Amino acid sequence: MRTYKTDVIDMSVIANRLDGIVREMENTLLRAGRSAVLNMARDFSCSIITGDNRLLATAEGLPVHVIGGERLGEAMTRRHPDLREGDAFLHNDPYAGNTHAADHTLMVPVFVDGVHMFTTLAKAHQADIGNSAPTTYMPFAKDVYEEGALVFTAIKVQRDFTDIDDIITMCRSRIRVPNQWYGDYLAMVGAARIGERGLKALCAKYGLEVIKDYIEDWFDYSEVLMKDTISRMEPGVASGFGVHDPVGDLAPDGLTINVSIEVKPDEGRIVIDLRDNIDCIDGGMNESETCSINNSMTGVLNCLDASVPRNAGSFRCIEVMIRDNCIVGRPQFPHSTSVATTNVGERLVMTTQRIIAERWPGQGMAEGSNGLGPGFAVISGQDTRGGNNATFVNQLFIGSQGGPGGPGYDGWVTFGNSVTNGLMLRDSVEVDEQKYPILIRQMRVRTDSGGVGQWRGAPGIVCEYGPVVDQMTAHYVTDGNVNPPRGVAGGGDAAPSEPYVLREGGAEVSAPLIGSVTLARGEMVGHRLSGGGGYGNPHDRPAESVRTDVLAGFVSLASARNDYGVVFTSDRIDASLEVDVAATATLRGE
Amino acid sequence: MYRISVDTGGTFTDVVVKDANSQIYMSKALTTRDRAYLAIEQGLIDIAATIGVEVTDLIRQSVQINYGTTRSTNMVVTARTAKTALLVTNGFPDILLLREGGKPDPFRRMHFRPPLVPRHLTFEIDERMLADGSVHIPLNEDSVRAAARACASAGVEAVGISLLWSIANPAHERRVAEILSDQLPDIPVTLSHEVNPSIREYRRASSTAIDASLKPAMQKFFGDLQSDLDEAGFTGSLLISTSYGGGWSADRIAAKPVYSIGSGPSLAPVAAVREVDSDVPGGAAGNTVLVTDMGGTTFDLSVIQAGRIERTNETWLGGKWIGDITGTRSVDIESIGAGGGSIIRIDSGGLMQVGPQSAGSEPGPVCYGRGGTEPTITDAALVLGYLDSSNFLGGRLELKKADAEAAIAELATRLGMTTEAAAIAAMRISVDNIVTAIREKTVSKGIDTREIVLVAGGGASGINVGMVAAELGARTVILPKSAGAMSAYGAAHSDVLSEFDIVTFQTTGSPDFQLINDAFAQVHRQGQEFLDSIDPATISSTGIEFYLHARYPMQAWELTVSLGSYDDARAITATDIENRFHEEHQRVFGVFEEGEHVEILGYGARATARLAGNDERNIFIDQPAESDAEGVRPTYFRETGWVDARLVSAQRMRELGEVTGPAIVREDTTTLVVYPGHRLEILDSGNYQLHIGADGSSH
Repeated sequence: MRTYKTDVIDMSVIANRLDGIVREMENTLLRAGRSAVLNMARDFSCSIITGDNRLLATAEGLPVHVIGGERLGEAMTRRHPDLREGDAFLHNDPYAGNTHAADHTLMVPVFVDGVHMFTTLAKAHQADIGNSAPTTYMPFAKDVYEEGALVFTAIKVQRDFTDIDDIITMCRSRIRVPNQWYGDYLAMVGAARIGERGLKALCAKYGLEVIKDYIEDWFDYSEVLMKDTISRMEPGVASGFGVHDPVGDLAPDGLTINVSIEVKPDEGRIVIDLRDNIDCIDGGMNESETCSINNSMTGVLNCLDASVPRNAGSFRCIEVMIRDNCIVGRPQFPHSTSVATTNVGERLVMTTQRIIAERWPGQGMAEGSNGLGPGFAVISGQDTRGGNNATFVNQLFIGSQGGPGGPGYDGWVTFGNSVTNGLMLRDSVEVDEQKYPILIRQMRVRTDSGGVGQWRGAPGIVCEYGPVVDQMTAHYVTDGNVNPPRGVAGGGDAAPSEPYVLREGGAEVSAPLIGSVTLARGEMVGHRLSGGGGYGNPHDRPAESVRTDVLAGFVSLASARNDYGVVFTSDRIDASLEVDVAATATLRGE
Repeated sequence: MYRISVDTGGTFTDVVVKDANSQIYMSKALTTRDRAYLAIEQGLIDIAATIGVEVTDLIRQSVQINYGTTRSTNMVVTARTAKTALLVTNGFPDILLLREGGKPDPFRRMHFRPPLVPRHLTFEIDERMLADGSVHIPLNEDSVRAAARACASAGVEAVGISLLWSIANPAHERRVAEILSDQLPDIPVTLSHEVNPSIREYRRASSTAIDASLKPAMQKFFGDLQSDLDEAGFTGSLLISTSYGGGWSADRIAAKPVYSIGSGPSLAPVAAVREVDSDVPGGAAGNTVLVTDMGGTTFDLSVIQAGRIERTNETWLGGKWIGDITGTRSVDIESIGAGGGSIIRIDSGGLMQVGPQSAGSEPGPVCYGRGGTEPTITDAALVLGYLDSSNFLGGRLELKKADAEAAIAELATRLGMTTEAAAIAAMRISVDNIVTAIREKTVSKGIDTREIVLVAGGGASGINVGMVAAELGARTVILPKSAGAMSAYGAAHSDVLSEFDIVTFQTTGSPDFQLINDAFAQVHRQGQEFLDSIDPATISSTGIEFYLHARYPMQAWELTVSLGSYDDARAITATDIENRFHEEHQRVFGVFEEGEHVEILGYGARATARLAGNDERNIFIDQPAESDAEGVRPTYFRETGWVDARLVSAQRMRELGEVTGPAIVREDTTTLVVYPGHRLEILDSGNYQLHIGADGSSH
């Protein structure tokens, strides 16, 4: 048994307390946050890094956000060698460690006995960041200048616990919904300061020396667990690719992303190589350095034991090799990385976990759904209800996309997309209709949208909505239409993600996969969202489970017969539905 | 003259009787599943014997019975409710499946829980209301009749109706119910705007489905209880405890049984308020009180601020986001998997983990000798000398100490430590899980745990409350005499209480802002009618207080702002509301936004009637002791190692007045461990106060 400097019981206790502090921060951000992307979709995260910039505690944060927090800390300590208590820093620069410009991060250095021991981070996706268009996703932005976001590279925004008004004024003057931004900013400050308070109390209780030892021991412990997990895998190398859908004229044939994975159980290490990929493109689809790393790591972590703590210690076991000026590497300035957290980023997650599933039986998972189509659009317009006239810009979260099947588990129904892994919350129809001048017409499970399999992909839904007073614009970035999420190990692919528009009177016309639609009163935008890919041979799925799926509207009678080989004694979808055991066995060739 | 109060739990039924001289008698009996009365009668037999009366006389002379039960909670959690259909607005058949999204951990694989009502029993009705109450699509009555026919052929036993924006205009829901009462005359129906008038379709639909699904069984259950009591000669009033933490008449709860969820545990904070009022300067109103209740499987906690029991609209059965929300207002009780039965394990990195898995009562801890092989907190407490092997559960269960020792020793060997050290380690980790949960709960409300009054109840609290209190640095720690039956004791003293809400949408930024008088008058009238329905002979005073739910523009979640009495509330201005909201936001989230307007999402009134005789001091009557053995027992503490702890009985404690640790105090229903350096004092009320060492640390 391994020995640690820290009393092992203290170690459990302190680790528990640190995660507790992160959850306190998260709760503050969720409840006090102003924009929907924050208070509904939970598109935020909190973490604690050490004073020397190593990721220490993340609780259950959004994987795409928390991995890479150390690079944000590095930007702060590099630019501000004179840090002191009471400071706070605003950071959203993807060329200095951030994910993409839309994720504003608030950092508070925490001092104990004059030593910079920790930094607390509260990162939240903003409703607007002053881009050249009213959206935070700009796939066609030629470069960062055309993207147009206000960029802060670890800029001091508080001194002596008080706002530096000049910075606040800059944001208020350039961001479209200044009050909403400021409300979110306050929520981030509240969260980071609550973390600061908790950390100081923790150090006061245990003393600085115990905490210092704890940090090293905790990293070592986490590394031991991760090595142990990896050492149980078969050694080997596997590579493969995933394809992002066409992106207008920018990438008319889509974007192919190559991933190579080597598992070294002897060393307890996994190495991911992303260097064999195309150069950066002149659009916002490039990954930032942080997103290249954290998304491919998410793909690996999706396949490993979830009880291993996620921090700088366990991450020593996963190496991601990247190169300069690569679409999934270190971008070359001034390329835009506006959409880095989703689309190509999701392809990294999906492709990585699927390659693992193909090469290592019993591990990995199929591809999950991806992209942010109309079900997750940023909507904007003028709200003139009740004689008012107010600008609104906010992201909706009324879509629901399905998660991938994996060994032992069907896909998670409210999965969201491949970088949020089910953490996202969904909007209430009534709250949305009260807040914005819109009507939501339907939101129902889309039959046969999940990939078939022994462990099937979860289905997506169909949703439709439109303006009720004046015109409204919806910006979105669909993926998974031309290349829907793939199944693995005999499992089927999911149905494609399909945006569309309904003209007044109900005629359906096509809508762009990526871009925006402007709707007049009476028109609607719709989205048939995709499910997740399936895992394993669908004939191995118990017939009773298929019956449950048919009753739930997840699977049609036709698919039950044709894909799952399950026959029923009638075609009435109600409690009387019964599996025809003999016919099913015959059809399945049993 | 007596008052009886009862809490029917999954395993035990706790019975408390209070006589005209405010003497309190307590007992426990095994719960009887289908006929709650049988267990109540068992409990009353013990108490009647102590008093020296016949059970029938005891019941005949009782003016009131307060009754709480976990039955409805258990029915929902174990999916044993009625076959229920849900009628929804066309286009939205998957509300209960999709919930509000969310998952507790991005990487942990989990099975997605099926919806409360399956899709094939969910029927879409052609109709649509809008946010302003206007009709967007008129009701198609044929679609209702078709649904009714499908319900009949599927053998549906209850129906919920939850249409979009019925809170803005209930006409369609009402008409659908009329048609159903025609077509399905014997099937109970729940309307969403009646059971839970609040915005957010998922929460309202979930309340509606749960309520309807409970109606057949709970209406029979409460009906049986009433008729059994009638038959036993009971002529007083039967009050059922609600999730709010107050009593409702049996008729009222039978009409809205979703409010009986959490009915037992919701009363523990009520008991705590009483204890703090009698034992602590300033009472509950002048302190922040943390109430804990630790049993075999779970540790429940709740907070009382300024005398006000915290309430929430977010009670989930089966886990936050992934289970089913009740959607209704209830006492805010957080439950974590930490109890006497929590299992101790070592993970592959060499760290000890305790819980949340529990050995429950079957097979139970190793020391129960009923097949349990994994050591638990109860085993650790036994090894350390905190528990007796002979008088556990009143001597009905002999604990096997040697088996517990062997199981803990095996873990200790793998950790390279002594058996005692491993047992202490498990206690500490369990305590830390508890302390972390308490800190998360309190910090998010801006509470400093050093300032709290801790009231620790539940059968298993006594073994670790000293450690919990020391970790929190809690100034005042009360261990109620009623700890083993805290919910039933709370029910005996609970107010009759109900809330009435109305949904609205207003902003203080509007130049012609004023409170909507009609809405106020409506909730006021409802509150008054509720109070008028109570037998005036049983209550001493009544009152109605008002509140509103508000948020900053674009926030998704509301905070509740108190408005005071009817006159206070009607006089309030936009600026007053903004200022109170800023204050509340600052208190909860540490920040507020000066100059920002506030959106108001609803008004409410809370009507309260105080029971007569509630303010008298109680005298606890112990059951006659079988033995009064005193002496010492070797007991192990982290800072002292093995020492002789003094053993003290409850009776002896009354003579001594106080005892300094190390000591073990044996109560009828629980055991209290007094750690070295701590001092346990008996108070005039009969409760105990635990004094932690001056340095505020116990280890």
